[in-house]
Parts: sequence; structure tokens; C-alpha cells
Amino acid sequence: MVKVRAMQREQRSWDDVEIGDELPQLSLDITVKRLFLQASGAQDWYPVHFDPAFARKAGHEDVFMNTGFVQAALVRLITDWVGDAGFLKRLAFEMRRQHRPGDTMVCRGRVTAKEERDGQACVDLEVWAENEREGIATPGTATVILPKRGE
Amino acid sequence: MAYDIEAVRRQYIGFETAKARGRYPVEHDTIRRHCHMVEDNNPLFIDPEYAAGTEHGAVLCPPSAWLALYFASLGPWPAAFEPLFPMVPTPGKRIVNMSQDVEWFARIKVGDHLSVVRRVVDVFQKGIQIDPEAVWIVSDVDITNQRDELVCRIRNTFLTHRTPAELNGE
Repeated sequence: MVKVRAMQREQRSWDDVEIGDELPQLSLDITVKRLFLQASGAQDWYPVHFDPAFARKAGHEDVFMNTGFVQAALVRLITDWVGDAGFLKRLAFEMRRQHRPGDTMVCRGRVTAKEERDGQACVDLEVWAENEREGIATPGTATVILPKRGE
Repeated sequence: MAYDIEAVRRQYIGFETAKARGRYPVEHDTIRRHCHMVEDNNPLFIDPEYAAGTEHGAVLCPPSAWLALYFASLGPWPAAFEPLFPMVPTPGKRIVNMSQDVEWFARIKVGDHLSVVRRVVDVFQKGIQIDPEAVWIVSDVDITNQRDELVCRIRNTFLTHRTPAELNGE
């Protein structure tokens, strides 16, 4: 079996998190290759996401990245940070502006609250995906549950 | 005949689809392709040997509602799955997804077999730059596993619109 060149994520403890902490950012260049990866990875074959003529006929300036792609990037931002034992409880986001070929999509996040709820060690996050053309194109919020130290 | 949004609201708000079961169980390679698109090399999602040694005991599906819905439905091809659109009639046939709010209740592992039920929560008209009479559809999606446990609930909002040519009567 070929070993996957994968990298284990650091396990984060709820006790070590502080309000204002920033998540390590994630940058993805939106290239033509990425459009193909998007169609394959999201299995979304709606042409507005890869066929410029179709997108322009619909009234858009160009093709734009689909929900599955943007969501996957935000999920990666969060799961990279929470580690194996962390649990993504909630993720909400709005597709207000588009990420298009030529953009670099950067996902970021920061801690806005931490408290125990129903016996669970919860951390609230502000997360978003931005690009240099539109600024914050995809604002969102998330809640994660983290292990406490010693658990 | 003019589009009657009130008639559509009366007919479709509250409509619920029959429970549909995914064509295949949750499988490795679909997850791998999903991870590839965002360069996610997390071994919990792509390395069975690593994942088997964790508290989870098996490869996890990344907590992406998009991927969960894919596994819970019949996939884009061959088409055997009726999406909410065009079930809810709209004057425009172009789609833009606008938002998602996803709550997770359990992790999904490779080998799970997911099912889905969808409900229409709201239908309304609100103009966008391309079409002043775009139709927005809000739905709730419940995804359950083979033990009938609720895995996640998704509130999704998308809109449908006409093309500029259609608006110009071309």
C-alpha cells in the first residue's frame, strides 16, 4: 500500500483557546485546474461553474466557484485547527460575492467566544473567505466542540 | 400566463420529499477527490491506516454538508433524484446558491449509508441585479445514517433567475 503523504493535525485543547485567537489562514489559487478539481471533488456539473459562455449568458461576468468548493475550504480551515478529537457543531455562511478564476481565495477565522454549553466545551468562530477583488466574499460563523485538557 | 408567487407559496411551502437513500455507502475515493479540490491532506479523511488508529476507528467524511448530501442522494448521474428545483416552479431556470446553515449531530464514517428528507420552508420573490423578480427557495434537509440517527440538518437558500436575453424577450 502506498503511504499517503498526509500530515496529522495538532490536537487543540479548549483550555488553551483564547478569544481573539486567529486560525492559520488557508490560501487557494483559483485556476483552470482548480475548476476541474471543483467539478470532480464536488460532483457539481452545473455549467455556470466551469463554462464561461454559459455563465455570461446567465448575466454573470465569468464562472464562479460553487458552494461545495467554498464550503470544503471553510471546513478545512476549521478541521485543520480543531484536530482529530474536535467536532464541528455548526457552520453557517453566505455566498455574497463570487470567487473567480484569477482570484486567490483566502479563508480566515478568529475566536469570538468560548463557553461550556450543556456540558460541552464550545468555541464560537467568525470565519470567512475573501479575495483581493471582492474583499470578504463569503462571511460565516461556526461553533466547534473541543476536548478539555486531560480528556 | 403571469407567474403567481402566492399560488406557488400556498402549494409548496411545507412540502416534504419522500425519504431517499444514497445509491452507495460513504466511500473512500469520493472523499479523496473532495479533499483534493482544497488540498486537504488530513490523514483522518484520506489515510485508512492512520484513521483506524484514532478514537474514530475509521476514515471520517469531512463535515461538509455538500458531501453528506451527495452520499445521501443518488448523485448527479445517472439522474434518479428529483431536486427541489424544478419541483417548485419558477420563471427562471438559472440557479445561484446563496447560503447554508449546517448543524452537525454525529460524525460520518466510511461505510455509513445515508438518507435524506427535504422540506420547502419558504419561497419568495426578491430582485437581484440580473433579474428583478428572482425567486428564492429556502429548504431544510435532514440527513440520517443507517441507524436512523440524525447526522446533520442543513438550511439552504438558493435563488432562480432569468437570463438577460429572457428578460429582453429574446
